[in-house]
Amino acid sequence: MTGPVVHDVHSLPADDNVHAYAFSVELDGQWFLQKGKMIAYYGQIDFHGIGHGRLDRLIAGSFHSPLHAADWVVAEGRGKMLLADRAFDVNSFDLEDGNLTIRSGNLLAFQPSLSLKQSIIPGFLTLIGTGKFVAASNGPVVFMEPPIRVDPQALVGWADCPSPCHHYDHQYLQGFLGGLRAHTGIGGASGEEHQFEFVGAGTVLLQSTEQLMPELATGAVPTEAGVPGGGGHVPQSGSQLPQLPGNLGSLQRRFGL
Amino acid sequence: MPFTALNSRMVEARIGPGQRLFSQRGAMLAYRGEVSFTPNLQGGQGGIGSMIGRRIAGEATPLMTVEGTGTVMFGHGGHHVHVVDLTGETLYVEADRLLAFDGGLQQGTMFMGSQGGVMGMVRGQVTGQGLFTTTLKGVGSAAVMAHGGVIELPITPQRPVHVDPQAYVAHRGDVRNKLSTALGWRDMVGRGSGEAFQLELSGQGTVYVQASEEKL
Repeated sequence: MTGPVVHDVHSLPADDNVHAYAFSVELDGQWFLQKGKMIAYYGQIDFHGIGHGRLDRLIAGSFHSPLHAADWVVAEGRGKMLLADRAFDVNSFDLEDGNLTIRSGNLLAFQPSLSLKQSIIPGFLTLIGTGKFVAASNGPVVFMEPPIRVDPQALVGWADCPSPCHHYDHQYLQGFLGGLRAHTGIGGASGEEHQFEFVGAGTVLLQSTEQLMPELATGAVPTEAGVPGGGGHVPQSGSQLPQLPGNLGSLQRRFGL
Repeated sequence: MPFTALNSRMVEARIGPGQRLFSQRGAMLAYRGEVSFTPNLQGGQGGIGSMIGRRIAGEATPLMTVEGTGTVMFGHGGHHVHVVDLTGETLYVEADRLLAFDGGLQQGTMFMGSQGGVMGMVRGQVTGQGLFTTTLKGVGSAAVMAHGGVIELPITPQRPVHVDPQAYVAHRGDVRNKLSTALGWRDMVGRGSGEAFQLELSGQGTVYVQASEEKL
């Protein structure tokens, strides 16, 4: 070990990680990045908010939706740009005529050749096309192939496979003791009653911990019947869901707890 | 049922029929196959007696039993995970540092005072272990969590190891530990070095030290 490595404009990697927590972009043209994720740059780079004047057409080309354009910045010019996010692990991924859905808070930056859309799963964004993007995760990213069931908090995103469905494990709540547990809450829950289940061909991206990165607001989905997360019609909570231990349910209501 | 480290913060465990393992509740990240996660009322092995023992000792971290066929990935809180393979020795570790362990390991609780009397109890207070610590004995493996990476330091009879109590994670083998103090008048007037308490481990075994003085 010999002290810190000193980088200059030539020794900084081009479109590669400087180390696990910082990514260096060789900029010649445009990149989109989330607000506040640039930590340093060399060269002539301008940062514009999207939606002002001449950049309006970008919204049509890359965002397809004005709703979350306000969270993004266009970096334009030539030089090297360093991206990082609160010392989370940063990785770049290449998409070749593919699609990848990612938790909105985890996406840091992407090339304009990709187009960004809101996933129909609330809180996720989908990138479609060919290009490179940079994403952050809490701990290194692990790639898994379906079929697999994933803790909701550990999921970073998925590529080329169908959207996940919910899976519930409540075997231990069956039988007499299980019923007792479900009604009294004695014994607690394992915290693993609910997973996302992936099937089909593709890749699932996991982070190494169940601690989520803070969510990024990606604009509200229009309130419309039939749109997930659109808030059109909210069903009475819990009527369809299996009852969790600790939640006294009907007993709770009966005694006015 | 060996644990395989996928990266510094995540381990994968393979589980087959008739086997089981225990893990901290909520520490499962993903799994393949048919695996069930049942909250464990007793906080580990044994009957009601062991449960009461652990409750009193404050070593009753909520655990769940993992059974079935498949592979399970574990990780928790972004902490580094270190896999310890035991071949008959005893591992001494705090229950809340145990991410997951083989169901075949014999789980027990040890009173700190049984190693060094009152000084042992003081030592427990300084290292954050409290008055009791968990022991795992037998053949199998355990995944231990630490803040920052884990360094293994071998202890031989000729070479005792001194460890900062806050960086201490766990130890295994036939190891005697005692708290050595180097308190002087400087500490009394608030000009101490901050290293007044050290844990001295001697005997035959290994001590695990984390690269941080932050507790879990």
